[in-house]
Amino acid sequence: MKMLETRDLTVGHEKKPIVEGINLEITQGHLIALLGPNGAGKSTILKSLSGLLAPVKGAIYIHGSDLSRIKRKTLSKVLAVVLTERLNAGFLTSYDVTATGRYPHTGFLGKLGAEDKTKVLDCLRVVNAEKLAWRYFNELSDGEKQKVLLARALAQEPELIILDEPTTHLDVRHKLEVMAILKRLSREKGITVIFSLHEIDLALKSCDTAILVKDGRIVSCGSPEKVGNNEVSALYDIDCAGYNAFMGTIEISNSGEPSVFIVGGAGKATGIYRMLTRNNVGFCTGILHENDVDCHIAETIGVITVKEKPFQNIGLKAYREAQNLIRETSLVVDTGFPIAESNSFNRKLVLEALQDGQRVCTMRDKKENRQLYGDWADEMIYCHTAAEILQHCDGTKTFHDRRERLKSVNSE
Amino acid sequence: MSNSTVWDATKHPNRLLSGNNVLIFCLLFAALVFVFLLNIGIGSIKISLPDVASIIIHRIRNDSVNSVIVWDIRLPRSLAAVTGGAAIAVAGLMLQTFFRNPIVDSYVLGVSSGSTLFMALIMLGGFTLGISTLSPFFMFFGAFLGALIVTAAILLFACKVRSAVTLLVIGLMIGYLCSAATGLFTTFADNEKVKGFMMWSMGSFAGFTWEQVKLLTFLGVPFLFLSLAVSKPLNAFMLGEDYAKSMGVNIKFFRIFIIFVASLLTAIVTAFAGPIAFVGMAVPHIARLTLRTSDNRFLMPATILFGGIITSLCDLVARTILAPSELTISTVTSFFGVPIVIWLLMNRRTVL
Repeated sequence: MKMLETRDLTVGHEKKPIVEGINLEITQGHLIALLGPNGAGKSTILKSLSGLLAPVKGAIYIHGSDLSRIKRKTLSKVLAVVLTERLNAGFLTSYDVTATGRYPHTGFLGKLGAEDKTKVLDCLRVVNAEKLAWRYFNELSDGEKQKVLLARALAQEPELIILDEPTTHLDVRHKLEVMAILKRLSREKGITVIFSLHEIDLALKSCDTAILVKDGRIVSCGSPEKVGNNEVSALYDIDCAGYNAFMGTIEISNSGEPSVFIVGGAGKATGIYRMLTRNNVGFCTGILHENDVDCHIAETIGVITVKEKPFQNIGLKAYREAQNLIRETSLVVDTGFPIAESNSFNRKLVLEALQDGQRVCTMRDKKENRQLYGDWADEMIYCHTAAEILQHCDGTKTFHDRRERLKSVNSE
Repeated sequence: MSNSTVWDATKHPNRLLSGNNVLIFCLLFAALVFVFLLNIGIGSIKISLPDVASIIIHRIRNDSVNSVIVWDIRLPRSLAAVTGGAAIAVAGLMLQTFFRNPIVDSYVLGVSSGSTLFMALIMLGGFTLGISTLSPFFMFFGAFLGALIVTAAILLFACKVRSAVTLLVIGLMIGYLCSAATGLFTTFADNEKVKGFMMWSMGSFAGFTWEQVKLLTFLGVPFLFLSLAVSKPLNAFMLGEDYAKSMGVNIKFFRIFIIFVASLLTAIVTAFAGPIAFVGMAVPHIARLTLRTSDNRFLMPATILFGGIITSLCDLVARTILAPSELTISTVTSFFGVPIVIWLLMNRRTVL
């Protein structure tokens, strides 16, 4: 069912358009996330949708009637807001703050009836804040305040709640809690929730519809699955990091010259990737199945990755590719990946590097290595933590140096 | 949600308020009556409280000294102090809540500066509009007009300006402008006149006649009731104008209404008694810190009662402490009130 609709809407301040050509159709009970960089106009859109700001052009319809024609009092029973501005509630308890939400439902003097009082407490309970009811609002933490403000919005008994950056200033626990509450409101009470958020991963994992705003227009609108990796990265002009919508993770990019080859698999390499990236050590990695966590992370970081199709034995083509890369690096890392038939070539890669005289760091213990590599196990460098590997990445023989050397060998 | 929490008022930080708010208001009202009678009883001629009560209740109006003192001198003055104190205290509360700023009162908004300027015009500049004698009502009219003109100017800006803070700054600027103009008149006036003007500008309830009290009451009391009626929207305003708007409050109307009512309350008192410092700013704080709530539905009546009590007490001190000389009311309110407010502020648990 269509709850809210905009037709050719232009929003902005003082007739100065900020976002133009907004055509949205919002379904009842959906959770809608508004994403975009700072200053893209998310707040302006939200303020306009909540009727706090008159549109520059076009119109907003709630249940088919023009928002600007709906009486304020009627609207306040349909739509409630949670704003970003910090407020000073003086000597008001959380209960008192929540009770102000009953405004449209109480009489001339604002006296709360027994039913109102129960409803206020119920609203506090829905947001897990019933314990905060009798504490002064000003004494609460940011996370607790946000929950109380959400309860206040609920006390209006709206069909639609609009929240401007509800998770700003909150710690992870409260971020997740607020999102969980919003989700519950939409699922259990059928309340439509529209919010703006800076945590892309959190937003895309919880919303039904994502709206991407950039450069004064709606760039993309649809289910989180429809909104792809590249669109999100492009949305924020991220070039120092990569975003993986599938994994919902942001990884810092690594564009250093690869001096280390990491033999990974089954997520064993992810921690090492991140450690090396943090320390500006370039690397390449392989041979990873395309469905491996390591593969997703490596590709998001943006390093050279030797891949094989999922659930297939690693083939000769990938093997050769990895061999060539290893020759050009100064260090090979055996991350302690589990070995089965499908990735037995990875064991061979490490063994060959050892036979070739390459330095090899290993995360396995000696006993295991003896079984895998026989006497070559004695030649390996034993590391217990990722940090120890870093000490052996001396960078004396980088990719570049080796390439020069290989060139000279070839020319001879 | 079936096993819903029972409404348990005893958990509220202020048990008195939520559990049995009737009690605290009864206490305040009793205190007001007591101070009111005390204000009538004490003076150069002391009259015992039972005598005062019986003179008032039995309407004893004869030629006895006590009766004359009570009916002609002290009763109108005490009534004026109670009503006037309540009026400016409530004006202060309304403006503090509306502007979400703890240091606002109608003086900050420039309303009384308008009165002062017009009084300077009359007392120092000699603008009498052809009337030869300075009747008290003419002075009242002038001071009232001054306050109204400033109020009108602020309301005009209130329609144009979007942010409440900007409006506050504009009010402040108008106040400075009025003070500057007043200073101009003071520079060129006779010393004798300046002293009279200075005394007026410190405020006093001395010499209130019944006519003045009637006017003060007829104009002031309806506005006091009006201010009680806006406590609900004022609560919404406490969260900011955007929240208020989203809850269905007619922002434009109430913004003008609140400023209008607060300014008029101030104008009425200032016109008769001169500017009274401190009460408008401090009494709301005293009420808030005593009741430990910012809920205007309780604060509003409490501020009215506290305003009456504190102003009466100050008036009592003003006329007795250095008798037969009489201090101005602002001297007393500031001397006695400021330490109280600072003490309350130091002991508070949360910001205002």
